[in-house]
Amino acid sequence: MSTQSKYVCPYCATTFDAFDGLKAHVVDEHGTMPLPRPHGLINLSVNGQRYELQVEPNTTLYNLIHDQMGLTGVKMFCDRGACGSCTVIMDGRPVLSCMTLAIECDGKTIETAEGIAAAKHPLIETYVKHHAMQCGYCTPGFVVTAKALLDKNPDPTEEEIREALSGNLCRCGTYPQHPKAVAEAAKILQGG
Amino acid sequence: MNKDRIEGIVALEHTLNADKYPLEEYGAVGRRVRRKDGYEKASGYAIYTADIQLPGMLWMRTLTCPYPHAKIKSMDTTKAEALLGVRGVLRYDDPELPERTDTSGHFGEQEPVLNRVGYWQGMPLGVAVAADSEEIANEALKLVEIEWGERPFNIDLEAALKVGAPLTNPESNPDSNLVPPMWHEFKIAHGDVVQGFKEADKTIEFGMRRDTDSWVGPERPCGVFRWNGEYPEVWVKHQRPHLAKRQLAAFFKVPVSQVTVRCPFQGGSFGGWSQMPLNMAPNYIAGILSKRTGKPVKWLFSRREDFCGAGMDNSRFHVKVGFKTDGSITAVAAQAKFSKEGWAHCDHFIENTKIRHVLQESQGAIANILPGHAFRCEQNMNAFCLTATFQHVADALGKDPTELALINDGHEGHAMADLVKEKRAHGFAGDRDSLKECLKAGKKAIEWDTKWHAPGKKKLPNGKMHGIGFAWSHEWGDSGGSGAIAIRIERDDGSARVMGIRCDNGVSAETAYCQIAADELGFRYEHVHYRPFDDAGFVPMTPDSSTNLAVNGWAVRNAARQVKQKILEIATTPRLTERSDMGYAPPFPDCKPEDLDIKDGVVYAKKDTSKRITMAELVRPSFFMGKMDVGATEPLFAYGWQNQQGAYEGPPGARPVFVRQVHFVEVEVDTETGQIEITKVVNANDVGKAINPDAVEGQQYGGSVMGVSRVRTEEMVYCPASGVILNGNLIDYKINTIVDSGPIDTIIVETGMGYGPYGSTGIGEDVATMVPFAFYGAVHNAIGKWVDLPATPDKILKALGKI
Repeated sequence: MSTQSKYVCPYCATTFDAFDGLKAHVVDEHGTMPLPRPHGLINLSVNGQRYELQVEPNTTLYNLIHDQMGLTGVKMFCDRGACGSCTVIMDGRPVLSCMTLAIECDGKTIETAEGIAAAKHPLIETYVKHHAMQCGYCTPGFVVTAKALLDKNPDPTEEEIREALSGNLCRCGTYPQHPKAVAEAAKILQGG
Repeated sequence: MNKDRIEGIVALEHTLNADKYPLEEYGAVGRRVRRKDGYEKASGYAIYTADIQLPGMLWMRTLTCPYPHAKIKSMDTTKAEALLGVRGVLRYDDPELPERTDTSGHFGEQEPVLNRVGYWQGMPLGVAVAADSEEIANEALKLVEIEWGERPFNIDLEAALKVGAPLTNPESNPDSNLVPPMWHEFKIAHGDVVQGFKEADKTIEFGMRRDTDSWVGPERPCGVFRWNGEYPEVWVKHQRPHLAKRQLAAFFKVPVSQVTVRCPFQGGSFGGWSQMPLNMAPNYIAGILSKRTGKPVKWLFSRREDFCGAGMDNSRFHVKVGFKTDGSITAVAAQAKFSKEGWAHCDHFIENTKIRHVLQESQGAIANILPGHAFRCEQNMNAFCLTATFQHVADALGKDPTELALINDGHEGHAMADLVKEKRAHGFAGDRDSLKECLKAGKKAIEWDTKWHAPGKKKLPNGKMHGIGFAWSHEWGDSGGSGAIAIRIERDDGSARVMGIRCDNGVSAETAYCQIAADELGFRYEHVHYRPFDDAGFVPMTPDSSTNLAVNGWAVRNAARQVKQKILEIATTPRLTERSDMGYAPPFPDCKPEDLDIKDGVVYAKKDTSKRITMAELVRPSFFMGKMDVGATEPLFAYGWQNQQGAYEGPPGARPVFVRQVHFVEVEVDTETGQIEITKVVNANDVGKAINPDAVEGQQYGGSVMGVSRVRTEEMVYCPASGVILNGNLIDYKINTIVDSGPIDTIIVETGMGYGPYGSTGIGEDVATMVPFAFYGAVHNAIGKWVDLPATPDKILKALGKI
């Protein structure tokens, strides 16, 4: 379980949203040594929002994002890193959130499909236009992987798109539409 | 209104003829439109049952059987109950559990909710735990101490059918391992096969086999149950949530009106039966535990547990077929053995060929493997038997299989060329020949005339063997059923809301409903939205993706026509004009409803189009405070209801199907490794009228991807010694990825010969069911050997005598 914490000064009961604030307060106001950083405390940025969270050692990044933050764009399809439906972008790289421990994500910057949509990335509308989805369960995972590709390679070939998306499974069989949607988004990003 | 006009609006039961009242012109129908669920799904905001979380929610996990056949001799749950965080434990011997109850929701099969006996490895049974977290629930199950009584088992269906074989489920079937007759007769005779074989110039016999694949629904079976005092509120992943509601009410002995069932988006289901039997029992258990703990309870299968959702395709065939040298087939006698469950395998000879003499015999076996259920779709045995028969006859005659199809195309023993009168009698154009049209387009796209060759004769420069295969059938996806859908006009802006429960199968059927409603109402597509009822209480037809539109399309259309009529009546009829607070003078006082029409949401006089009023102006605001001299129209709402007979319901021949579908698969086979590469798939589908072309194409390429995947790599593998599933995960069970699927051509043919609105028919079931067998022919064409399915590399090498 993870929680968005409040930090209470043991000397005067003043509360702080961030642990670093409490540390500075203890030194400045009470003239004592800073408190040790609690185990399991992580700072991370998700879709441009900063979080400071206390997480258990066995909490996965998927659990943190889906269950705690309520971002449903990460989906649990295979449960063991075989399907790509839980993909998020971490510091520019697509990673499988079901195979990543939240406690390893201290200091990381993460993007999910919701963030990509909020930033009005053209991939969302090109995925809609080309029906690159049927049931839609795996779709956000594809969008996230495609976004990571375009960040790195703004003008990918069809082969490169296929290779980038080869770790994402779609049971409905929408594969033929994804290269079209990604290529069109790339074109839009280049002003075409 | 005159009789014709009423008939054109109100739903017709048992639609046996062509649409008599199509629109004169189409706007949204037939056009590529922005799908209504697209942004939700692409952005991650679409909510599925597996996403549901409620405050204080507990997680429920159920024990699964570690053996293929075993009984719990004794069970001690003391340690599990004592584990911190465990809030409830339900055992098979709990007094609240009935001995047996309806867990299927489809056939009414009676099973224990928590069985004491496991009949296949992985079967949920024995005990369920509700705990603060999934981890604690799993940990608690490990603390349950069980003494198992292992029983003899049989995972091979043919062995299970042998006399004296150990019983595989003695509690339900104490006499034998035979599947009892349920949905279809196991012996069906049309004509006289003895006579048919006498008429033949040549007779051949052959066998083929297909082993079990799995449905692999992306969202695993799941549910959430909360008791709001006396009122159950349940979130289900279910293709027929209204059936779940009925079952839950019956199980908990409350009126249906006391139950709320919610069905959000579904992460792939692919067939009405996929999860039902293994879906309802956990909902019952979650309901009991929710009641006892006072908390919401969520359950979710693991991916391995999800592999209970096998296809009903585990089958072996022996076929005898007689034919003339010109290619006319005179008789087919086909025997099949399948593992629970199976479907008929000779219906398609009756429904889309001129073959007069057909004999079907089948036996179903209950083996100690997971029960099969239909997914995309239940016609696999029919499709395999039909296609293999034609391919073997073509091979025996050295004939082009596409020519053989044309020679034998027909219905109920009559050649298609002789059915012109019947086509006209059903209201269709007599001069359209669907198979010919599909073949012409499909053969051109795959370059059949230059690529087809004798089996095993074409080696490519890369050293691989080239193969090309063909399959054809009618479209059966317009089956019977009932569907109800309503339309309401919103106050304030006069936009339209199409309403029914959500059951999101196929390719956004809700978008197609909006296209139909827009054109029928005379509204812009952008002003029509499908907004589901929160509760499973207003029920569109929901068993199959294809049937969605064939049934619900009528319901939407009928609702829209009624609403439009009401709009035009309001526009021309004064209401309580003496009451300024209640009534109003109509904007077209001198007109009758038939003098008006609606376009782009504007009501106008046909004779003077300058006389016009927008829908927003007509319907007025939603709310008035006190006495305001603005007038108010009555609420605009109507429902449509369709109850229709389908192709395989009712007396044979009541609805002959004239539309055809053809499929081509091209492969390259590496004879050193046994690997098969799919280089091209072509589908030419006569959908009568494509209401949503993007959705039609979605079913074409989607079905193709799944179709080749399920017969190329997909197979449930059991350990013969232990009866344990060896590949119950998505690393060892291989489904196609984006790099495994070659180019797919999608060709839409529109002959208007469907029984749905505007001449449409379904498509969702055909492609994924027929493409596998075009692949079967392509592999034979490549290596000159018939290979059982799935055609995995080991089977290819074995057929080539290399291992």
